[in-house]
Amino acid sequence: MRSSDEERETQAHSAGRLPIRFDVNSLDLKRSPARKVLDRVDLPVQAVRLILLALILWVWQSERIFDGVSLLGFEIFPEIPALFRGTPSGVWDYISKTWDDSVFWGDVKVTSLEALLGFVYGSSAGLVVGLLLGRFRRLARIFAPFLIITNAAPKVAFAPILILWYGVDIGSKIALATIIVFFIVQIPVQAAVGGIDPDLDTVASSLGASQLQKFRLVVLPGILGPLFGALRLGSIYAILAAVFGEFIASKRGLGQRLITASNQFNFGAAFALILILAFLALLFNFVMGVLERRLLRWQDDGGKGSVISL
Amino acid sequence: MPTPAVGLEDVSLVFGAEDDTSVLALDTVSLEIGAGEFVAIVGPSGCGKTTILNLLSGLIPPTAGTVKRNGQEVDGPSRDIGYMLARAALSPWRSARRNVELGLEIHGVNRQERRRRAEELLSLLHLDGFANAFPSQLSQGMRQRVAIARTLAIEPALWLLDEPFGALDAQTRMAVQSEFVGLWEQSEGSTVILVTHDLEEAVLLADRVIVMTARPGRIKSDTAVDLPRPRVIDELRFDDQFRELEHQIWQELRDEII
Repeated sequence: MRSSDEERETQAHSAGRLPIRFDVNSLDLKRSPARKVLDRVDLPVQAVRLILLALILWVWQSERIFDGVSLLGFEIFPEIPALFRGTPSGVWDYISKTWDDSVFWGDVKVTSLEALLGFVYGSSAGLVVGLLLGRFRRLARIFAPFLIITNAAPKVAFAPILILWYGVDIGSKIALATIIVFFIVQIPVQAAVGGIDPDLDTVASSLGASQLQKFRLVVLPGILGPLFGALRLGSIYAILAAVFGEFIASKRGLGQRLITASNQFNFGAAFALILILAFLALLFNFVMGVLERRLLRWQDDGGKGSVISL
Repeated sequence: MPTPAVGLEDVSLVFGAEDDTSVLALDTVSLEIGAGEFVAIVGPSGCGKTTILNLLSGLIPPTAGTVKRNGQEVDGPSRDIGYMLARAALSPWRSARRNVELGLEIHGVNRQERRRRAEELLSLLHLDGFANAFPSQLSQGMRQRVAIARTLAIEPALWLLDEPFGALDAQTRMAVQSEFVGLWEQSEGSTVILVTHDLEEAVLLADRVIVMTARPGRIKSDTAVDLPRPRVIDELRFDDQFRELEHQIWQELRDEII
């Protein structure tokens, strides 16, 4: 200990600098692992969350809210007839009843598959087209009016047509999800390509990079941030598209279950299915978040890569 | 007389010739720079200093005249030219080391060799501990050093530098200038063309200072700087011979600025 201190001092002197006198190691700044976990969990936040959740469930289960809520003379929540009411216990009944039902899990699979394939097709096409149009301005000018008009149309309006064209099975839902996800990805990707620092391009050019090398070394990494933003949104909209397609016409799927439950006034089941769909979307989003955090390590500023931090 | 490393023969450049707003950036400029020379180009902003670098690097062609490199006409970027822009322009998604490796990666140098050279350069520029840091985690001086390392990693025979130290504070600038001159004095006969608005910097670093006129850019004067090498930048600033030379060149430059 002593000898290394002396060594440090001689080094400092030989460099013509003042020796360091304060010992940084004497400070006990390191947090214990348990302390780190506790700091991250943040108990007061968790406690308030739990209280809020309990409050929501209690108000909902007591059916008080269904008797109508008025604020300053406005009826902000109407009175709901007994037949149309769904409660947390109804949700629980449905979930516990269907949990072991293989037909239910088959429906989960159908909707997931529709959303997943639509997401993969739509985002791949959106990425490629966005990259090309962002990089080649004349190409962008040629296609702009076609893309703008198609994008301006409410895309769910294509659903009935797609069902006739691609059939009542998963094909039509995949097609709808593909169209919706395509635009969600293509537009921001194209904009992001245009927003890449031109100096990075100049540097790569001056180092003798080919067009292809510039695509790989400058363009692709340069758009990853906006791309993942779009992919997250796209993953949620893919599920929306699948469910909406199933509403219009379908034989299987969670959307089909949901519309049947609503038609039968089984609102416990309907809320349960909405909850399950939300979890499905979160699962999609979670996978995106994991990928994003891996690829965007350089953008590290805390919770950017996660939707839910429990 | 040997073939000059770099030659401009009656080079003119017009920007926006196809529009009504055409600007004559360079007006019949001729210039020869020998291999191993360190030349600084100074002049008022907008005088076409950067344009000369863009021409030499092959990023843009001249409107008239010829740009030559080792006696051959330049027709595109070349692998033995290192061009450093005024801004560090580091890839934010690459660590310092991987930024230095960029040119080597483009040239297809294998991973091991890339890493070796990058680490060597980072060490020469006193960035040993920062190889894995991302640009956002580095100070401006460090980023500029990484950009220098990236420029030199491809071991270019011709170094083109556009205001490489302009964005640095006075003290950091001196430190980075010293490191840079050290690297050049150790390199085997690399040719350097440094564009700067800072006359002191030009005289401190270069063997030859070229003063350009305000737009359209022409060469006004070409002065040899006969100060001995190796130079100790921070002390040389107080040398009488240096002061005199700087003053002499300043007389040329001031008419263009004031």
